[in-house]
Amino acid sequence: MGKSRRNCVKTGAALLFSPALLSLNGCQNSDNAIKIGVTSRPRMLDPRKATDALSSRINRLIYRSLIDFDERFAPVADLATWEEIDPLHYRFTLLEQPIFHHGKKLSSEDVVATYKSLLDKVFGSAHRGSLKGILEVTAVDETRIDFFLSEPDPLFVGRLVIGILPADLIEQNHPFPQKPVGCGACEFVFFNEQKLILSRQNDHTELHFIPVKDSTVRVLKLRKGELDLVQNDLSPELVNYCQQQDVLRVQWHNGTNFGYVGFNFDDPYLRQLPLREAIAHAIDRPAIIEAMFAGHARLAQSILTPQHWCGLHTEDRYNYDPNKAKALLKQVQTPDGGMLEGEIELSYKTSNDPTRIRLATIYQDQLKEVGIHLNIQSYDWGTFYNDIKQGRFQLYSLAWVGVKSPDIFQYVFDSAAIPPKGANRGRYRDKQTDQLIRKAAEASSMDEQAKIYRELQMRLYDDLAALPLWYEDQYAVSRSDIEGYRLYPDGRLDGLLFVRRSTAV
Amino acid sequence: MLRKFSYLIIAAWVLLALFGFAIGPSANEVNLNAFLQAPSSQAFLGTDELGRSVWQRLILGAQTSFLVAAGVVFFSSIIGTAIGIYSGYTGGWVDRIVTKIIDVFLAFPGLLLAIALAAVLGPGIENVVLALVVVGWVGYARLARAQTLSLRHREHIMAAKVLAVPQWRIFGRHILPLLLAPLGVEATFGIAGAVISEAGLSFLGLGVQPPDASWGNMIKEGTRYLLVAPHLVLAPGLALMLVVLAVNLIGDEWRDRLDVRQRTRGH
Repeated sequence: MGKSRRNCVKTGAALLFSPALLSLNGCQNSDNAIKIGVTSRPRMLDPRKATDALSSRINRLIYRSLIDFDERFAPVADLATWEEIDPLHYRFTLLEQPIFHHGKKLSSEDVVATYKSLLDKVFGSAHRGSLKGILEVTAVDETRIDFFLSEPDPLFVGRLVIGILPADLIEQNHPFPQKPVGCGACEFVFFNEQKLILSRQNDHTELHFIPVKDSTVRVLKLRKGELDLVQNDLSPELVNYCQQQDVLRVQWHNGTNFGYVGFNFDDPYLRQLPLREAIAHAIDRPAIIEAMFAGHARLAQSILTPQHWCGLHTEDRYNYDPNKAKALLKQVQTPDGGMLEGEIELSYKTSNDPTRIRLATIYQDQLKEVGIHLNIQSYDWGTFYNDIKQGRFQLYSLAWVGVKSPDIFQYVFDSAAIPPKGANRGRYRDKQTDQLIRKAAEASSMDEQAKIYRELQMRLYDDLAALPLWYEDQYAVSRSDIEGYRLYPDGRLDGLLFVRRSTAV
Repeated sequence: MLRKFSYLIIAAWVLLALFGFAIGPSANEVNLNAFLQAPSSQAFLGTDELGRSVWQRLILGAQTSFLVAAGVVFFSSIIGTAIGIYSGYTGGWVDRIVTKIIDVFLAFPGLLLAIALAAVLGPGIENVVLALVVVGWVGYARLARAQTLSLRHREHIMAAKVLAVPQWRIFGRHILPLLLAPLGVEATFGIAGAVISEAGLSFLGLGVQPPDASWGNMIKEGTRYLLVAPHLVLAPGLALMLVVLAVNLIGDEWRDRLDVRQRTRGH
């Protein structure tokens, strides 16, 4: 009797839940879906608040902005073209009025509402700092918008890259991070801890972004067909492994992610140029690129690549030369005024990412040869980043990702940009650099600006404000039946708009 | 058979640890042209992700685990035994307080507490030893206290008391020798626990720092290359498993030997 009652309850429960389970399964396993493996879930799908690279790249698919950048990272029209009426007044004219995913047509009102919310102190956008020069933004008519600035800013147009949101939903305090609504090529479908689903507007192909933290597991899932595509974040050996698999395909493209070693200029030793030069000459960057990246990186001289509209074109002058490094080390003075004798011990902080620790160990080994003993201290990302911001380090290594505007130099090397006011983490103070930064900001034409920015980069390179390492290449690993994916130097995911599954088996 | 095998493994572990002193800094030298090479005649166990010999690093790892195990067992046993004997012998409110402290430590997961301590103290081999001692003394204290409670009313101790022998001498000469056997068994399990805990802490990045080697951080670094160089995980993983297995088997054997009931049953 008891047994039959239990069976009855079990059957009832199964009948009750099976339609729900079946429908959920059906919703998440569409055949035309392209599954993209990512390291973590996107943190912020509201472009006004997004700061991490993955969120910004995904937001580009959902939203459209007034301008975009060309291959030289010069601003070009996206939704709107512009004219400079005077240095304090820019007029943007919408080239098209696409339909938002909730059915409303985009107009100048939406642009005004988006930028007004960005400038609202209460809203607390992380991008407000770069837009604080905007005094007023007004709609002239349905397709024209006027921006009034408090002071001339030749780089102003390049700052208007935030995705446009619909004014009616901004008004209603719509939860954009949970249910994003834009007018981009992809429409939001579903989002939880395990998956983000977007649907391409043109062919309704679903793009599934699936977080898989471990790189080995990502590759195994690719091999098994649980993922279709992965971009970056694999060790070079895993990429090499993928190249050897019949079911996988690897694509490469020059990248702009800039790796560097930072110095603390408050340190009595590291503020001396001979020591910084000795470190630069003691690290064999070409050999590391060959060994660590299988040649898939380019030597760097500045944050901006030479292809940038104001990029630096110069020969690499810090070649690997241990003897020169040893000679330079002899010129280093101790804090009491004497000359350095014997070895010098420096601490090097890094995150506990295994690739970063691996690189740190290589630097440690190469610097040991010239008499510099590097103490590696690896910390979790939060502790490490906080220490760097607070200036609690001698040497550290980080990378700048997705830098497009040359005003990065003001943010990173200006004497007035020491954290929390900016990102001058090395506490670099140089009058000539400050003057060049001001001069570039006041220049009236892009050509003049480019000239001054090149001079500024040369100064930073000569003075080794930071040791430039390399620009890592971008790469994507996909299943062999995935076609049409394109890579971009800044790692954007726009290639997903063209990707498709081949029908031939 | 198993007994001989266990003693052989432990002897090899100790020898490797001693041999580690002869290797010197060559084990940490990076070779950019020899990343992740498979085992061959040139490199007995292959090379790691920085072109370093896995065999040499395995030896240095053996040294690290041996030093940590020896340090943890030595300090834990001294501290734990001293507290346990004093508490058991003195009795009263002292015993009640010590028992409560022991209960609190036992109620908290040992490795979790060690992780928290290592995180607070910062990474490094000394801090690993300190963190493991802080959680490791409890086992010895509980055992020593229980044994002392059963010994303190024995005739030879009562006689020593009557003859006004100082307390420290009673502890050292009349109680401790009778505790050595069970404490020895506890120490064997302590060694296995310390080896595993050190590997665990190093795996989490809280143990020894680069370029020093530990089996735990060798496994940690190796997991990233599991698909392309499985020897990086297999070599330290097998070494760790064999040492822990051997120490546990020896501990089991000693415990069986000391178990009066089992011996009586055997006769």
